[in-house]
Amino acid sequence: MFGWFDQRLPISSLWRTQLTEYPAPKNFNLWYFFGSLAMLVLVMQLATGLFLAIHYQPNPHLAYWSVVRTIQRDSHWGWLIRDMHIVGASAFFVLVYLHMYRGIMYGSYKKPRELLWLIGIFIYLALAAEAFLGYLLPWGQMSYWGSAVVTNFVTAIPGIGKPIAQWLRGSFVIGLPTLNRFFVFHVFLMPVLLLALVLVHLIALHQVGSNNPDGVEIHANTSKSSWPRDGIPFHPYYTVKDLFGVSVFFVIFFWFVFYKPDGWGFLLDKLNYTPANILHTPSDIHPLWFFLPFYAMLRGVPDKLYGIMAFAGSFALLACLPLLDRNPIRSIRYRSVLYKLNILMMPASFLWLGYIAHGFATEHNMVFGLHVTEVFYATFLVLPFFNKRRSLGASVAWLIVTEAVVLLIDVWMYSIHAHGWNLMLLTDWIPATYLLLLFGLAILFPALTQDTQHLPERLTAGGIFH
Amino acid sequence: MTIRAPSRKSGLLVVLLSALLLAWFGNAAMASVTTTQPPLRHIKINLHDKAALQNGALYALHMCTACHGIQGARYSELPPVLGLSKSQFLKYIGTDGRHYHDTITTNMSPELMTKFVSMPPPDLTDIALRRSPAWLYTYLTSFYVDPARPAGVNNVAFYNVAMPDVFAGMQGLQKPVMVEGLRFGSPAKIAVGVLPLTQGTMSKAQFDRTARDIVTFLYAVAHPHQAERARLGPWIIGLFLLLSILTYFIYKLYWRRVITSDERWWRIGR
Repeated sequence: MFGWFDQRLPISSLWRTQLTEYPAPKNFNLWYFFGSLAMLVLVMQLATGLFLAIHYQPNPHLAYWSVVRTIQRDSHWGWLIRDMHIVGASAFFVLVYLHMYRGIMYGSYKKPRELLWLIGIFIYLALAAEAFLGYLLPWGQMSYWGSAVVTNFVTAIPGIGKPIAQWLRGSFVIGLPTLNRFFVFHVFLMPVLLLALVLVHLIALHQVGSNNPDGVEIHANTSKSSWPRDGIPFHPYYTVKDLFGVSVFFVIFFWFVFYKPDGWGFLLDKLNYTPANILHTPSDIHPLWFFLPFYAMLRGVPDKLYGIMAFAGSFALLACLPLLDRNPIRSIRYRSVLYKLNILMMPASFLWLGYIAHGFATEHNMVFGLHVTEVFYATFLVLPFFNKRRSLGASVAWLIVTEAVVLLIDVWMYSIHAHGWNLMLLTDWIPATYLLLLFGLAILFPALTQDTQHLPERLTAGGIFH
Repeated sequence: MTIRAPSRKSGLLVVLLSALLLAWFGNAAMASVTTTQPPLRHIKINLHDKAALQNGALYALHMCTACHGIQGARYSELPPVLGLSKSQFLKYIGTDGRHYHDTITTNMSPELMTKFVSMPPPDLTDIALRRSPAWLYTYLTSFYVDPARPAGVNNVAFYNVAMPDVFAGMQGLQKPVMVEGLRFGSPAKIAVGVLPLTQGTMSKAQFDRTARDIVTFLYAVAHPHQAERARLGPWIIGLFLLLSILTYFIYKLYWRRVITSDERWWRIGR
């Protein structure tokens, strides 16, 4: 019976080549759980989303109550399914951010995995679009005004901005046409795109094989049977390990679902418990936590168009990582102290941006946003410095040039919008100090830029779970 | 072939450096407060206190719904929350069962309410999710006389609120306690509390308890599945905790083979 199918569908050969005979490095650590968990959450979002879509009414008069009454109260288990969808959306971003940072730490974007990384960036973009589109659907106050703000950003693009914004909204303001198309994009277009991208991501991964915390290419060292000496079959070894990861994940996930479904206002804004009111603009509009850092960039740059460019540029920087970091050593374990500091500063500045955007849009917060954005950008743009050992002269040149660029950008920004002198003095030194620390230490203690001399040829056992 | 474990010393240095950097930066990252927040009155919600829920329901359904809807909820979901049977509930709120399965709406039209108080009052279904119980409690108990306002009253928790003081009869009128503070970044007088001005039909303790009961009821309405959550949550989380332990041992069992098949690998880096 199985043979009949197997002759017509490559079931057993796929099972063999992709699972039981697919070699994975032995030393995946904690950081390697998040990819498969993200895939699990994607499936969960599709399943819960299906049931939500059955009861949801994409109509401004009905949308809010179809969520609050029909889904949350009138349908069996509607509350559980909706809370799983809400917590799932944030869990997705947590997992994807951790998954991305894993790639950054262990150099998973380096040859031959550049395309794999790039596809991942597209998945992140699609996920961001999916989350943004879905946020309008409950038709709460923050849904409405958040979407109004974001679709308004597009109008800053010269010439074509306004027509694009109208086309996106299907109207001059957010209304029925917007809700209808966002609903269709959210439940049909983006999920299909996401699934397709994830499939391509997996195909690309299995073409080049997994990286690992040591950055050692396991296929470079194979036994006579051409099986990598440091490889183990994905199934059963990583399937049982991932099962453990899934169980732990669900403990945390369901704690939120049952006890804090709105996550203290972080997973679902408190203002969204009020139906959208076109005549009442909230005093503080901000996106959910996973977009906050980008919101700080948009707010910090004193010009709408440049703000969008800073926002889009941060995605471009991520996509350009393989071009920026061309050091042959993959893993952060064998890189220099200052490189490690820089890689740590990357998420630190990103989180800090989020913290800034969480506050009110005061001038203080805006100026801080601008300068922390500069630090975030700097953590990427200084990566070429670490590509090889630099001479003293080169380090000095990097220091002078980067400081000059920051100064020029600040002068340019202040020429657009003059903030008070005290605010300038209070915050200008943030990117300047970071660069001074980084290159200053490189000049004073060249040993801090020294990568490891002894790269392992085989895998080593490291931190938690190897 | 020499294999070295990653240096632990450099890791420590990185942590120290970044801690220094963050401490330095954090020094400047003081949060700026734009509006002086009035202190909220403390309240403890007890969803098992059926008497409080019943008392709150009486006020909510007879007073609040005169202007506010509770459209998300239906009358029929209230009896189990209040610990009453259907007939007890109908008798208690003094109505026949005609609208028992209907949603709790108000008879005031939004247009009429807009004429009265400039905007339709917010629906109360999820008000206890939108606002904290402490905020609602402070709001209900701290209306104060402000001749500058159209309704003649203002509120400590909600500056320039449109709602009139419907509790004036029960609570009596109140006067504000003002302090110098910030409102949207500008210096202003901020009300941080109230003092009694006239005597109402209730004592302060009586009215505070009534307000607490109303908040308790609104909280129960906004959390319709609280009992189910509390009942199911430990089981589901416990199940996955158990699975975590089980799968951890299965994982260790399987991986023992990996370790013994290549002993050298296991020793590396230790």
